[in-house]
Amino acid sequence: MNYGRELLKGNTDSLLLCLISRQPTYGYQIVKELQKRSNGYFQFKEGTLYPALHRLERDNLITGKWQILPNGQQRRYYYITENGQQVLAKRLATWQDFSTAVKAVIQTETT
Amino acid sequence: MSSISHYLNRFKASLQIDQTIRDGVAQELCTHLQDKTQELEEKGLSREEASRIAVQSLGSPELIAEQMYETHAQGSWKEALFSALPHLLVALLFTSYYWQNIVYVSAILALTVGIAIYGWRRGKPIWLFPWLGYYLLPVVVSGILLLSLPEGWSWIAALIYIPLVLFVFIHIVRQTARRDWLYASLMIAPMLVTFAWFSSLGRGNELLASDWAVRLQANALWIVVSFVALAAATVAFIRLRPRRYKIISLLIPPLVVLFAVVAASGGNICAWSWLLLLFSLSAFAIPLWMQAKVYE
Repeated sequence: MNYGRELLKGNTDSLLLCLISRQPTYGYQIVKELQKRSNGYFQFKEGTLYPALHRLERDNLITGKWQILPNGQQRRYYYITENGQQVLAKRLATWQDFSTAVKAVIQTETT
Repeated sequence: MSSISHYLNRFKASLQIDQTIRDGVAQELCTHLQDKTQELEEKGLSREEASRIAVQSLGSPELIAEQMYETHAQGSWKEALFSALPHLLVALLFTSYYWQNIVYVSAILALTVGIAIYGWRRGKPIWLFPWLGYYLLPVVVSGILLLSLPEGWSWIAALIYIPLVLFVFIHIVRQTARRDWLYASLMIAPMLVTFAWFSSLGRGNELLASDWAVRLQANALWIVVSFVALAAATVAFIRLRPRRYKIISLLIPPLVVLFAVVAASGGNICAWSWLLLLFSLSAFAIPLWMQAKVYE
């Protein structure tokens, strides 16, 4: 089992909510942003992003709206909902606590 | 055909959900592929090479379709219970002699017709299909009863009524199957259970012998078991996400009904009834088999 991949899988929803909360965005931009912000650490099959986005939308954490660009191309932008913001805030707090606890344990082990 | 079109066609062929949702997701994937292709072209790659890499980086269309199906094909508990409600109402009718009371039957029939028409006009939500099955049931039962008319009249029924019923029935099944063959199976389930119980009563004059109602009521417990099993399978069908589990949930009621009919008759079923019984139960699998062929 790839531990890094499992970690990413378990936190995909939080990462997506976090990116969408900063500004309304669309699938391809999310992929680019994830790669850019993680310095290329997050590598995954790009298509798996869309089922995750639709799952978040089904759970009323984000909402998707079609927009027509000046060149006539249609693009689906995702917006975070109020419910999504609350869930994200809770998850970030949990993640901070978890991360602090893991760091404390690791530092104790190494010192 | 370009690699992008080929990819999107594979995706659409693998995803058996509401056409509007499917087309929307395909459009999203198409935009993604166009963005990626354009970006790679700007880096100096040929259009062909750029679109090939874009398709590769998106991953298997079948896998995306499977994950998307699991997201969209699961109904809520509310939808699951509402879908199971008509089966439970029919089971309730057989817990006593209510099914012979014209007031109760008419009330349930009116409710069924109203809900089926409402659901059909509201974009065919997932809970509609069992109600639609009961909506069509009186039409099919009338056809079966017409076969028991005196000699000569049954031929008129066979020549006029049955083709007409088949035409309407096939039209609605095809309309339903456009969305998903599994929903067609879910829809015809109550008809097949009813048909199975009718077939256990015998054939021709035997079917409508004066004691048919008494014979049917004598089997009430097993009929209730059949419809409760159908209700449970419907709830499981709507709540389960993976498609293979949905298929398994639809295969359980025919087995329960077969067991119930055999148990109710004490194993004393004539050859004709066996034939009708096995035919009606195997009909459950026809839409499933057709869907499985597409899904492979």
